[in-house]
Amino acid sequence: MKESKYSKFFIFQIVLSLATVLAVILPIFLSRVPWPDLARNYLEHNGLRDSGARNLVSAIYLGYRAFDTLGETIVLLVAVSGTISIISHSGLSQAKGFGKGEIKKHTNNSISGFRRTELIDVVTGKLGPIVLIFGLYLMLFGHLSPGGGFQGGVVVASGIVFMALGSKTDSSTWLQETGALAKIEAAGFLFIVLASLSGIPGGFGFFGNPLSSSGASPVISIIVLNTIIGLKVGAGLGFMCIAMLGKVE
Amino acid sequence: MIEQILLIILFLIGFWGIIAKKNIIKKIFALSILNSSVLILYITEGSKIGTNAPIMEEGVKNVVDPVPQALMLTAIVIGVCITALALAIAFRLYRYTHTLDIDKIHRKLHDEPF
Amino acid sequence: MSHSDIIFAPIFLPLLGSALVFCGKSFFKGRKAKLIEYSAVFIGLGLPWIVLFYLLPFILSGTTIQLVIGNWFGGVGIIYRFDGLAWLVIFLGFLIASAAWIYTLGAGPRGLGFNAIFLIQTAALAATAMTADLFNLFVCLEILGITSYVLIASSEKPGAFLASFSYLMISATAMVFFLVGLLGLYRLTGTLSYEGIAAGLKILPGEGGITAIVSLSLIVAAIAMRVAVMPLYGWLPDAHALAPHAISAVLSGVLIKTPLFALTRILIILPGGIEAGRLMGYAGAATALVGVIIALAQKDTKRLLAYHSISQIGYIVSAWGAAVTAGLSTPAGLTLMTAAFLHAMYHALFKGLLFLTIGTTTDLAGERDVYKLRGAAIILYRGGEKFPVTLLCFLVGALAIMAIPPLNGYASKAALSYAFKGSWQASVLFAAGIGTTASFIKLSRIYWPQKKINQSSPKTGTIPGKVSGSVQISQIFLAIMCIASGIFASRISLIVKKLLSNGIIDTNRVPPNLFSIQNLEKTAITVTAGIVLFLIVSTGSGKKILSLIRNRPRNFQGLFLSFSLGMFGLTLWMIYKS
Repeated sequence: MKESKYSKFFIFQIVLSLATVLAVILPIFLSRVPWPDLARNYLEHNGLRDSGARNLVSAIYLGYRAFDTLGETIVLLVAVSGTISIISHSGLSQAKGFGKGEIKKHTNNSISGFRRTELIDVVTGKLGPIVLIFGLYLMLFGHLSPGGGFQGGVVVASGIVFMALGSKTDSSTWLQETGALAKIEAAGFLFIVLASLSGIPGGFGFFGNPLSSSGASPVISIIVLNTIIGLKVGAGLGFMCIAMLGKVE
Repeated sequence: MIEQILLIILFLIGFWGIIAKKNIIKKIFALSILNSSVLILYITEGSKIGTNAPIMEEGVKNVVDPVPQALMLTAIVIGVCITALALAIAFRLYRYTHTLDIDKIHRKLHDEPF
Repeated sequence: MSHSDIIFAPIFLPLLGSALVFCGKSFFKGRKAKLIEYSAVFIGLGLPWIVLFYLLPFILSGTTIQLVIGNWFGGVGIIYRFDGLAWLVIFLGFLIASAAWIYTLGAGPRGLGFNAIFLIQTAALAATAMTADLFNLFVCLEILGITSYVLIASSEKPGAFLASFSYLMISATAMVFFLVGLLGLYRLTGTLSYEGIAAGLKILPGEGGITAIVSLSLIVAAIAMRVAVMPLYGWLPDAHALAPHAISAVLSGVLIKTPLFALTRILIILPGGIEAGRLMGYAGAATALVGVIIALAQKDTKRLLAYHSISQIGYIVSAWGAAVTAGLSTPAGLTLMTAAFLHAMYHALFKGLLFLTIGTTTDLAGERDVYKLRGAAIILYRGGEKFPVTLLCFLVGALAIMAIPPLNGYASKAALSYAFKGSWQASVLFAAGIGTTASFIKLSRIYWPQKKINQSSPKTGTIPGKVSGSVQISQIFLAIMCIASGIFASRISLIVKKLLSNGIIDTNRVPPNLFSIQNLEKTAITVTAGIVLFLIVSTGSGKKILSLIRNRPRNFQGLFLSFSLGMFGLTLWMIYKS
């Protein structure tokens, strides 16, 4: 029987940490203060008019607090490129970063050396396109129903992974090529950064909605932003997952 | 009340996992659990002032607070990104030291010249 | 175009630059990609200087720009504020980032998005300085964090991965506590901007009670983690020692100070903030002393510099804490905050210079142990430096940190002791100064010639025998800045004071005499005592004590234990004092 690897001092440290953390978070987790309705009241009456989106959550993260969304996009971009560079430098993965290098031609198996079974072939290969369409639906309808750029993008990324897992070599799609994915991601990021300026000529300020006072509905900018974010997130996460699927030597 | 107590337990499990578990992959799991407990707290607390989802169809009133939901969208994405990066770093550590135990990794890397 | 939108240029331009770098790498190959990359870096690091200097006269005259991004409703939207403090912090960030980037042209990490991530980090620094919204601060700190993890790991040393992993885990956990605190404050007030929360708390009975105090202490503890005061500094030595040299310079110079100055905005308006500032000030004084003691014991060159960063940030935090306690509108508070920022800026300059020069030297020599490496001056000569640029720059940096006139370290330490006149912090900082002198004498020994003549020539290191031009240019630039900011220190401190007070102070007043006899006497005492201390620790028993300090047990859970204890202590202090 293994002797316990936890010394008394170690257990003491753990218990002390947990006790102090509990003491500190208790007043906030168990707070009985009624939740404020300032924001909710304002948004209920004005959210649809200010931004044109029926989904108030979309109105917030692509309108009122669009800068936070830009920050989130940046974190995703840094994480994806950092992860890919860390993994690819270990010499194992076939996916090189952002346009450099080529993916080695596969033999009769798809990306990694694991064995493809019928189950994977049917489920992932055939479901892949359906998942992609669902992801596109989430992106485009984010302003009308629950969904949006990030949610749609993540589903698109999983669709890309499905297709990468399940396809045979002769029917692989261009979506698996990391060069194409890197291009989509870079172009998407550039578009979002430039879109933040679009409000300025009209006097709406940085990240203002350029269509606020023109005849067109302001919701168009939200739809466009949702789509671009979705494509960018989907391409980036898909790229990262394909890099993580690299062959083990 | 009961959900708040359950969330405290979840939070403490996450924090305990980060400090007490030796395997670095389990630490990353625990970080994810810690993140989840806080974001569930935001959403459940924010939902207490209304009854409908914040989608302004015709005649919809008394919606829940949409602000915590929007904030947590951002927090979820950031949490996922950090998890992905942590896993990549853990992978490189494993490739170099051939172990996933944090104490062994510490010992191996502190004896080495840089 | 509205006049006030130009304040976003320091954020927007680096982001545009990084987007262009990514596009360049994906769409083009070879020389075209490089051309796009360099022009993108010029857009990202060069053009914002024009904007900063354009805005300087307005800010000096006292205008501050505060707006809601996108002109949306203020209760839900994000509020940004550009004032003297923001200008100063952004200036510092771009200064160090530009110098560090020029260094990487010659010796730094290359490829795979390094430039893009570096630009994103610079943009996030600018955003943290200007933000007046708590959730936006969360997002900006996360961006700073994730770029740091990736940049630290880019040095490809195995120790760097462990350092990055530890930093990631403790920082991500601290940010979760930040979110919990944010929940508490939003729950009480229904808004996320600093001013909205302050106004909301004031109208509550008891100003929010225990919940408000605990929430604020969680937020302060999470930010204090990034600033690395006692007892939260455990992640810093590994992270700064093992990162690439240019990144160490940026981390030590800017990334541990920007969250501190961003915290100023929160603490001066929220109830209970003054007490938090007071405790952090005390912790800062303790950090200054403890940091230098541990630094003296180190044998790895960059780790010694990293522990000195902890010690110097202790100086800055103790002055900053006292400033927040006194209030920024009082003359005493203003003097303290000026001294704090001055030391922050000068420390960034000389610590950046030290990291870069030590980095060049140890790379060329292939050895990082202070006890083993000798004769580095000759190695640099053989490495292609006919004129000893690196050695001289190192001397400038070392003299600056030892506070020898007329270098900038002398000026900022004199400003600190003037601001702290008579209080116990002055004696603690004085003691820390002695330790600093001793450890830098120890560090400079690597340049002395070898004792034994029959020792084989030192092995060459990672740089194939050459010190490149851009490395020398960046080092010379920082050295000149150190000397110039020392000589013109009085005038600079008056400008800083005017910016921090938003234009109230008149720049024509006579500046305090930094080169007074008293200060020079103090410096002489410090240097003498430092030499004595160095001789003491070079003896046998001295070395034994040092190795005890150096080999004290440090492990992963210690980071979290100190974080939770620090947070708990801060909460108790704030509750007790409210």
